[in-house]
Amino acid sequence: MSALAEILFGGLFQGSLYAMMAVGLALVWTTIGVFNFSHGVFMMLGAYIAWQLVELGLPAAVAFPIAVVVMAGVGWILQASVVRPLIGRPNIVLVVVITTLAAGSLIENGALTIWGPRSKQIPALIAGNATIGGVGVSLHQIAIIVITPLILAALWMFLNRTRLGLALRAVAQNEDASHLVGLNVTALYGLAFAIAASLAGLAGIFMGGYRFMSPVMGSDPLLKALIVVVFGGISSISGPIFAAYLIGFFEAACSYYFGLYWTPALLFGVLILTLMVRPEGIFASRSRGLA
Amino acid sequence: MNPILSVEGVTAGYGRVTVLHDISLEAGRFGNVGLFGPNGHGKTTLLRAVSGLLQPKSGRIVFDGQDIAGRSARAIVGAGLIHVPQGNRLFPDLSIADCMALGAYSPRARPHEAENREKVIKLFPKLAERWRQRVRTLSGGERQMVSIGTALMSHPRLLILDEPTLGLAPKIKDELCASVMDISRGGVPLIVVEQDIEFLLELTQQLYLVNHGAVATEIKPGESLDHGEIMSMYFGH
Ligand SMILES: Nc1ncnc2c1ncn2[C@@H]1O[C@H](COP(=O)(O)OP(=O)(O)OP(=O)(O)O)[C@@H](O)[C@H]1O
Ligand SMILES: [Mg+2]
Repeated sequence: MSALAEILFGGLFQGSLYAMMAVGLALVWTTIGVFNFSHGVFMMLGAYIAWQLVELGLPAAVAFPIAVVVMAGVGWILQASVVRPLIGRPNIVLVVVITTLAAGSLIENGALTIWGPRSKQIPALIAGNATIGGVGVSLHQIAIIVITPLILAALWMFLNRTRLGLALRAVAQNEDASHLVGLNVTALYGLAFAIAASLAGLAGIFMGGYRFMSPVMGSDPLLKALIVVVFGGISSISGPIFAAYLIGFFEAACSYYFGLYWTPALLFGVLILTLMVRPEGIFASRSRGLA
Repeated sequence: MNPILSVEGVTAGYGRVTVLHDISLEAGRFGNVGLFGPNGHGKTTLLRAVSGLLQPKSGRIVFDGQDIAGRSARAIVGAGLIHVPQGNRLFPDLSIADCMALGAYSPRARPHEAENREKVIKLFPKLAERWRQRVRTLSGGERQMVSIGTALMSHPRLLILDEPTLGLAPKIKDELCASVMDISRGGVPLIVVEQDIEFLLELTQQLYLVNHGAVATEIKPGESLDHGEIMSMYFGH
């Protein structure tokens, strides 16, 4: 009973964080067709901005939403400065890997200069602990498990039930045709980056509430998010969401039965097998598009 | 009558390659305009320059009294110049309903959304039966209907069609031609690129032969030509 509870809880928790990160990567890939390698840095920056605001005396309930909104602005600016000028280049995917990596490392070093290398922590969403099914868990983690699906559902509703979301899905599928119905393609690209950066920032706030933060805290989650989108299929946002939870459960089960040490190797084994059988990812259709 | 669109000395191309060489033409003075000519001589490129997908290197494109050369596609759609591109690639994973909603995206078209939807459904009743179906699962003829329907949702003041019947079976093609005639009778002026000269002769009042990125011949109303003469122009003398 407690084994099941532990795997279930661990999977839901890790899956939530992965989903939050991966969905932003997938959103940017599907709309613009580039991989954003500063996505992990967005996560870090969101956490540090939240920490700074709390340091300045703001209550967490005010500081966290402000940090998320600021991250939207950061995403927009990054898109306008290192992605938009390159759109239309034939080798854009590779070039953007480099420009976003460069921008990311600049921001990372900026954070190091401003905030120093000392580890920091931000307040938990909800303080305290509980015991569920024989497993001791923090209320912060419970909150993340509950909030993440709500946010992902809201994103899904936005993409599928609003005209602006429809426009984002359209740009993902055919840029010329989007221009010809009068969509503001550049603004939609900015919006995709802004949403992705906000979600990453929120993931950073989630993480900073239970683990110590450092300027490089985003690199491992970025790697995991990449694994998730490759595993789930980069052509939609529902694929990575399912994949995130699947990988979360897989990791939780592996570390329960085989130990933390073996988990990455097993995960990569599964990933390689998946890609050999279904190169487009397990949940993907063969085309690019948000759904 | 003033031309609704005039292209004045436009030069345009891709990168260092120039496709259009100082091309000039007018549309809307006598009615619908047809463009024809050999493959790869710049008809599509001209339409892309007109609708803002391609920035011309020089020249003027005047739509309804305003120079739109170099303006954004969105601004040009906003002015009511609507372009149905060649090859109906569209939005493969969106439904017909979604495409129609996108067609009505511009503020100019939004107030007419319900009325235009009625028109599209009346024109293409087949679309209504498949309203929630994804575009990728439609037949070529149906996809072309969605393309044209989407454009009608944009409330066009001038509608540009790039090879609307390309690759369609004869029966579907005849139906589509009849629908395009209907649109024209409904009062929307057209610019149509077509390989099917019979259809162009029936639909349009003025023809341009585009050759090597320029107008080789203009055929005005009254100067009706027979099929043979046009064919000999097509293939050179
Ligand atoms: N995106 C592009 N990049 C580079 N060159 C292009 C591009 N699109 C078209 N061209 C070139 O421009 C020239 C004119 O092409 P365009 O599509 O305008 O011809 P067209 O008259 O419409 O031909 P068709 O009847 O086959 O549709 C061709 O030589 C073509 O190869
Ligand atoms: Mg063409």
